[in-house]
Amino acid sequence: MTLSTFLSSAFVLGLLEAAPLVLAAVGFTLIFRLNGFVNVAYSENITLGAYFAVIFNSILGWNFYVSIIPAALLSGVLSVLTYLLIFRPAFKRGVGKTELIILSVGVSYLIRYGSRLIFGNNLFNFNFESTSYLSVFGIGVTNIQLTCIGLVIMISIGIYFFIYKTNYGEKMRALADNEELAMISGINPIKVSILIWFIAGTAGGLAGIFYGAFSFVSSSLGWNLILIIIMVSIVGGIGSIRGALMASAGVGIITSSVTLLSNSLYGEIVLLIIFIGILKLRKVRV
Amino acid sequence: MEQLLSGYVVYSLSFLLIFISLATILHLQFSLTGIVNFGIVGFWALGMYSFSLLLLKLQIPFVPAVLLASFITGIVSWALGSIILNLDDQAVLVGTLAFATIIEYLATTEKWLTNGVMGLGTINMPFNFGRITLFVYFLIILVFMVLLMLYASKLKTSPYGRLLLSIKDNEILSQSLGKPTSHHKIIFFTFTSALIGFFGAMSAPLYSFIFPRMIGPGITFTIWIALMLGGRTKLFGGLIGVVATIGLFDYFIETVVPIPTEFAEMVPNVKFALYGLTLILILMFRPLGILGDKKKEVKR
Repeated sequence: MTLSTFLSSAFVLGLLEAAPLVLAAVGFTLIFRLNGFVNVAYSENITLGAYFAVIFNSILGWNFYVSIIPAALLSGVLSVLTYLLIFRPAFKRGVGKTELIILSVGVSYLIRYGSRLIFGNNLFNFNFESTSYLSVFGIGVTNIQLTCIGLVIMISIGIYFFIYKTNYGEKMRALADNEELAMISGINPIKVSILIWFIAGTAGGLAGIFYGAFSFVSSSLGWNLILIIIMVSIVGGIGSIRGALMASAGVGIITSSVTLLSNSLYGEIVLLIIFIGILKLRKVRV
Repeated sequence: MEQLLSGYVVYSLSFLLIFISLATILHLQFSLTGIVNFGIVGFWALGMYSFSLLLLKLQIPFVPAVLLASFITGIVSWALGSIILNLDDQAVLVGTLAFATIIEYLATTEKWLTNGVMGLGTINMPFNFGRITLFVYFLIILVFMVLLMLYASKLKTSPYGRLLLSIKDNEILSQSLGKPTSHHKIIFFTFTSALIGFFGAMSAPLYSFIFPRMIGPGITFTIWIALMLGGRTKLFGGLIGVVATIGLFDYFIETVVPIPTEFAEMVPNVKFALYGLTLILILMFRPLGILGDKKKEVKR
């Protein structure tokens, strides 16, 4: 392998890897910015998004692109339900920040193993009507991968505009920065929180669907990604969508270049070590 | 009687003791000092793997191998502790979780050292007393568990324990009184993590073969759930919690309750779903666990 083919493969494969990660990191970071805790249960949002799409696509036989829409909306609803039934009552009871993370681990376990009772330990694949192989910089990709990347770009731009350019986005940011001040200004915190959790859940569900489309859907899909998602969100800067974008691309390219050279697990090890280093360097308040 | 002593019951009880010890160490780290260690399994695995490698590859005898393995775990946790312990709780949490994941991946990838997913073995018992070998080993673990409990109960009332408590409750205040809090935190973290490594080394002969599959994050979360359930602020919280979770599910239900074979593979899923539900209910309605009081007691 020459240097140029290595670089282009690492680049293209890295971006492929990074595309769904951007969505997941954006959703995760929204909840983090609003409520200030690491929501581990977000991983199950990703998994269930993929499972919902499996129901519509593989079981009911809908077209893949059509089944994305109800699946994403359902995962948004799921996210709102976890907020209303578990996290909001927990905030009201004054559960501490660390305890909230442990609570979210509990929620994650309940949903993951609960859904395993329904879906079993099987792996699912999506049905695509036609798959054709294209070449980008000499790297083989499928038309499905390219379409997914296109969708990810569109959705990310959509979320970006929603948060930074619309009235609702402004309310969301106001609430995240200072809840009391936002309430005095006449912002209804419940409405806005529900909206944020819905958008975050939808983004997570979409990320799960695209991950599933690139490989397969299993009950540990989201769980295997959550550490990387937390990492990307922290490295990219909490609440910063541009940061999440850059960090995801970086993560994708690092993982794919290490994977091309040796083992994919080394890619993750390298990432985690870099991550611990960055935690230290920035003295981040995670 | 002899059959009982060499059988499944003693074997299960030995594991129960190991997990009770881990939960008690977590109680010391989390409730006394406020260190949110989400990488317990990493230290445990490090102790277990380094002990087995010392024993099998370098032919070091049992006792020095256990001590060396604990020492290695201590060194690594000192390095990790000096990097992340002076950051805030959530950073410590993800940092230790990342550490445990790194250990798990390394055990899988470094095939030349750990045999990868093929597993490392056979690790034999350090002595042979015929049928009661396992029972004697169980007694040894019991002695170490009791020693750990004694240490934990002494620590709480000692001046050093109060210093650790002050770090947990108000680190800045403690610093302003001239205590080198960061230093003490790192030292205590190193010592307790080395203890986790020690119990990891001690559990290797019980398994006799060790695989990367065994060191997944599930163990960390099970211990956390056990401690939260039992009562994180109480000395016996870990004990009660481990008996109520691992003891009930892994041993009592799997051995005593008749489960039709077609449902057998569903049991772990039900178990973990219930663990999750228990954790939610505990944190919402009884944050200090079974043993904890509803109101925080104020000592004057």
